[in-house]
Amino acid sequence: MSLYFNYLKIHLKSLLEYKTSFILSFLSQIMGLALYYFTLICLFQRFSNVKGFTLYEVLLAYSVIEFGIGVSEAFFAGMDKFDRLILRGDFDKILLRPRNIILQVLGEEFNFVKTSRVVEAFVIFIISFINLDINWNIFRVITFISMLISSVTILLSLFIFAASYCFITIKGLEVRNVFTYGCRKMAAYPIGIFKKGFVIFFTYIIPFGFVNYYPLLFLLGRNDFKILSISPLITLLYLVPSILLFYRGVRKYASVGS
Amino acid sequence: MKSYISYFILKYKIGLQYRASAIAGIATQIFFGLVYISIYLAFYESDISNLPMELPKLVSYLWLNQAFLAIVNTWYKNSELVELIKTGNLAYELARPQDVFMMWAAKIYGEKLSSASLRFIPVILFGIIMPYPYHLDLKISLIRFLVFILSFVLASIIVTLCILLFHIIVIYTLDDKGVANMFVLISDILSGGVIPLPFFPKYIINIINIFPFRYIADFPLRLYVGDIHLIDGLYGVLIQLIWIIILYISGKLLMKHALSKVVIQGG
Repeated sequence: MSLYFNYLKIHLKSLLEYKTSFILSFLSQIMGLALYYFTLICLFQRFSNVKGFTLYEVLLAYSVIEFGIGVSEAFFAGMDKFDRLILRGDFDKILLRPRNIILQVLGEEFNFVKTSRVVEAFVIFIISFINLDINWNIFRVITFISMLISSVTILLSLFIFAASYCFITIKGLEVRNVFTYGCRKMAAYPIGIFKKGFVIFFTYIIPFGFVNYYPLLFLLGRNDFKILSISPLITLLYLVPSILLFYRGVRKYASVGS
Repeated sequence: MKSYISYFILKYKIGLQYRASAIAGIATQIFFGLVYISIYLAFYESDISNLPMELPKLVSYLWLNQAFLAIVNTWYKNSELVELIKTGNLAYELARPQDVFMMWAAKIYGEKLSSASLRFIPVILFGIIMPYPYHLDLKISLIRFLVFILSFVLASIIVTLCILLFHIIVIYTLDDKGVANMFVLISDILSGGVIPLPFFPKYIINIINIFPFRYIADFPLRLYVGDIHLIDGLYGVLIQLIWIIILYISGKLLMKHALSKVVIQGG
């Protein structure tokens, strides 16, 4: 782990060399993201609720996913852009070093501008919490924290799955965008509003439901099973097959050479 | 003129080579079509007191938007041109006897058209065979169809000119992120790419009407599904023509100004 933080430190130092550029892109990202939140608010001007969920409840579900996207795009960018490593043959370099492969891949790249998503998500959390009447107690606090953790882990596992897929295709195809962007788009809403097939998909196949739907029900007091407060941690299990698949890919890996 | 047409044909043919990426694109568009429709279905099943569009029209709009996404999306970036600008290879372009503005327009148009022509038929077929409420309804009267074709061709020219404007901004900023990105984001939302424009509150629609972007996706597609009256459609085609003239002239002037200031980096 300390290896990863060393990488982080180096990338942060190089970032500080270009402060203005960073601040400008950060601000433009914030504005851009605000526009997307704004379109969501516009939809709720037309509709009073969606399957019983009000604006602030949807915003909460939405920003939990945005938080995960922000963290994973900022700190796991190396995994997200894994196809470039393979294409350039740089992955060989990593294999030669006697350190953990996944940590090294993660350390290849950081995209700190994406932390704007995290900042924005926190602003939306606060706005939603002010407007929602949540009956806070220790279980609900645990629920919220585990939602945040799971939001990051599920996206990390999806990144690793997508990266493993690159071992086969060499170039990361657009198809993986279907899974990352498409699912993200949909999972940003409380999945209970969708048709049954989607609910099953987001519960058993890609468990986004455990990130921001089932725990959300508990948070809002619509469901009283206390076990739901730690249900988001199910997504930790999801990391296991993705890492196994990745290492399987590493064993089969034949360099593209250069 | 002939040389620009050959640039267009060249780019079109190159684009047709990328079949694997087209198949991936088709899968993406179909999936996104389903995702978007599901989201709106949930809304429509919850509250029907204030609907800006009838459901079948909305569903058809969403399918058509996905089918023709390669044309109507405004976030298309020509990486070749961006690289040219960033690396200073722009100098080669300036050395050619052609007009850079027209040459780039031909290239962008060719690429957009070829990726759309590989993708739209399967997406539309998929939409047609889907049962209600996911069904894409293509029924249209002949006159409306002709007006649609006209407006769609004009829309494809407008979007090319807008994208060209984006690349001209990049000549100034030497960065395809930041300011240039804001341009892309705003044009995406104002063209009806994120949510269909009738879903915005009235005062925002009034602002949107000032910009050319709604004539890229919102206008032709809503004309097709019958959400815009035919008379308004003809009127809109006229506005499209005016926008093309404005965008063409301002784009050319801006390009001239940008190129007069350009400093070639490196040698």
